[in-house]
Amino acid sequence: MPLFKKIGGKIMIIALPTKTSGEKSFISEQFGRCNFFYIYDTETETGEVYINANKDGQGGVGVKSSEFILKKGANILIAPRVGEKSMRILKSTDLKIYKSTDKIVKENIASFLNGELKEL
Amino acid sequence: MQIAVLSGKGGTGKTLLSVNLSYLADNATYVDCDVEEPNGLLYYKLKEKQTEDVKIKIPVINHEECIGCEKCTNFCKFNALAYILDKVRVFKDLCHSCGGCKLVCPTGAISEVDKVVGYVHSGSMFDTKIYSGEMIVGVESGVPIIDNLLKKVEDSDRLVFVDSPPGNGCSVMESIKDADYCLLIAEPTIFGLHNLNMVYKLAKVFDKKIGLVINKYTDNNMINNYAKENNIKIVGTIPMDLELGKLNSEGEIVASNSKYKPIFNDILKTIKKELVL
Amino acid sequence: MKQLLILSGKGGTGKTTLASSFIELSKAKAFADCDVEAPNLHLVTKSENKKSTPYYGMAKAYINQDACKKCGLCKKNCRFDAIEFDGKYTINPFKCEGCSVCELVCPENAIEMQNHIDGETTIYRDNYIFSTAELNMGSGNSGKLVMEVKENLKKNLTNQELAIIDGSPGIGCPVIASLSGVDMVLVVTEPSVSGMSDMKRIIKTAEHFRVKIAVCINKYDTNHDQNQKIEKHVKDSNIELVGRIPYDKNINKLLNQGLLAISEESPTADSIKKIYLRTIDILNS
Repeated sequence: MPLFKKIGGKIMIIALPTKTSGEKSFISEQFGRCNFFYIYDTETETGEVYINANKDGQGGVGVKSSEFILKKGANILIAPRVGEKSMRILKSTDLKIYKSTDKIVKENIASFLNGELKEL
Repeated sequence: MQIAVLSGKGGTGKTLLSVNLSYLADNATYVDCDVEEPNGLLYYKLKEKQTEDVKIKIPVINHEECIGCEKCTNFCKFNALAYILDKVRVFKDLCHSCGGCKLVCPTGAISEVDKVVGYVHSGSMFDTKIYSGEMIVGVESGVPIIDNLLKKVEDSDRLVFVDSPPGNGCSVMESIKDADYCLLIAEPTIFGLHNLNMVYKLAKVFDKKIGLVINKYTDNNMINNYAKENNIKIVGTIPMDLELGKLNSEGEIVASNSKYKPIFNDILKTIKKELVL
Repeated sequence: MKQLLILSGKGGTGKTTLASSFIELSKAKAFADCDVEAPNLHLVTKSENKKSTPYYGMAKAYINQDACKKCGLCKKNCRFDAIEFDGKYTINPFKCEGCSVCELVCPENAIEMQNHIDGETTIYRDNYIFSTAELNMGSGNSGKLVMEVKENLKKNLTNQELAIIDGSPGIGCPVIASLSGVDMVLVVTEPSVSGMSDMKRIIKTAEHFRVKIAVCINKYDTNHDQNQKIEKHVKDSNIELVGRIPYDKNINKLLNQGLLAISEESPTADSIKKIYLRTIDILNS
């Protein structure tokens, strides 16, 4: 059972940049240019996979990734690192960023819910 | 008459050559287009200089008028606009100043303001006119500054030496597009040869008249052989000379020294002959 | 994986000479050349087994002459002077930045954005992975190509500890792209007024990225006074000077024979080895 499901009384929506699609994927090292996003809803305990349509942009891909996950309602991001611009955008919102481990999506979500991940 | 001094590889002596030739030529103009790392003014130490801002237009959003249709964020090819927390936000560093967002906005919520991306310094020394561009650190593209510099000398009846940026990217194209003559400079090393080949092809695309100077010339003939194979005129050589290197590294105009003046004078004469001046 | 990026601001100070020596010394299994406008590292590594892929930059505008009614709105709205008119309207691909404003304003839908090959990326596989690329003449977009070089390196890695990246000159878009995600920058400068000026600008650029920075001075003995000034500036900026490389005219001869700066014993080779050891210490600290 997850230890906590809500953040500030709100449902938690967790976003993760991934290399392949699905909960068994590894986390992408790049936030802006990842192949997919995995968006997990802690209330329904279900995840959805989205293709990152902006990954091949010339520049500003982090901006577009930030915009995308915020539109999906994410308030948690689990990633190894994010770029300077993305950091600036995301820090200006309620979203919190946690540093991912080198394990797969499922295990990262579990670690987060157990309070084992560090905030970036 | 405009001469673009080019090298492909950095640090081969573009600034050395263009500064010294413009110094020796009567009533010449020196333009430093290496706006990312401008060094011309380290040699032409201007006592008095004018500085002009180079600006581009970037959008500002009037959030009262914005209806959140996201036409602008979807239009922008540079990802400089994003819809975040019900507001359009502008990322200035990414903006290329195309003006598209303003055109697509259905409510007129976008207007434009100036953003300074760099400077053009100008002045004169001896009988040389000097223009030098400088890009602000952190700005990604120097093209607007190079454009501004080249506009200044567009119809000049002086002999203009353009100190181009290294490489073969868009900034270099800008600086040779309007040139009458491409003066290439290369060192006799495998790197120098490789990059000479690259910049030679570039000059050929524009069908420009080409001359070549070999810098740090030693007993190695690899550049001479390349020039022979491709029928490139060698207009001069600058010897490998530690003292010349030292003077240059101090920011001295080496052609002001009687020992080195003939080297650059010979190059200048040959170029003038090539240009039928 | 730790990434070390070698930069200089000013060109020709010895980035590639140093990078190639570092690769040999570290037995690095992963390296990249981010100088996509004038790549040189492949000249030293001499790898054979390569695979190249075309690189598509920004789509550029193309005018369909049959549909064009010559109203001139495209030219009027283009801020890059990329549309030329001599009886008919055409796009100058070297100036087109791909913003698609012309496509937007054209009342006849005569303009289309078309993909454009701007260069190629290459992966060499030996007992190492070497990622490089070359931009076509006059193409913009070098920042994105640099990202691709770095991505290609990462994609093909399994568990390498160290990646060495040869950077490009300048401080603009390709340099900024090469900086993102690296752990440390080693700046190579030389004792001259230009070396000093360019070093200051590259350090300022790198500081935006909050990476570890160290400096080394190549040909430090060719100008004593300028060398002192650079050393003082580095010290005052609280940046570590990891070493000084003496001038040696034999180095170019070695490189021209396809060898490395450290292939023969010399004070220069010794200094590069020392710089290497100190740099790796800082990188891993």
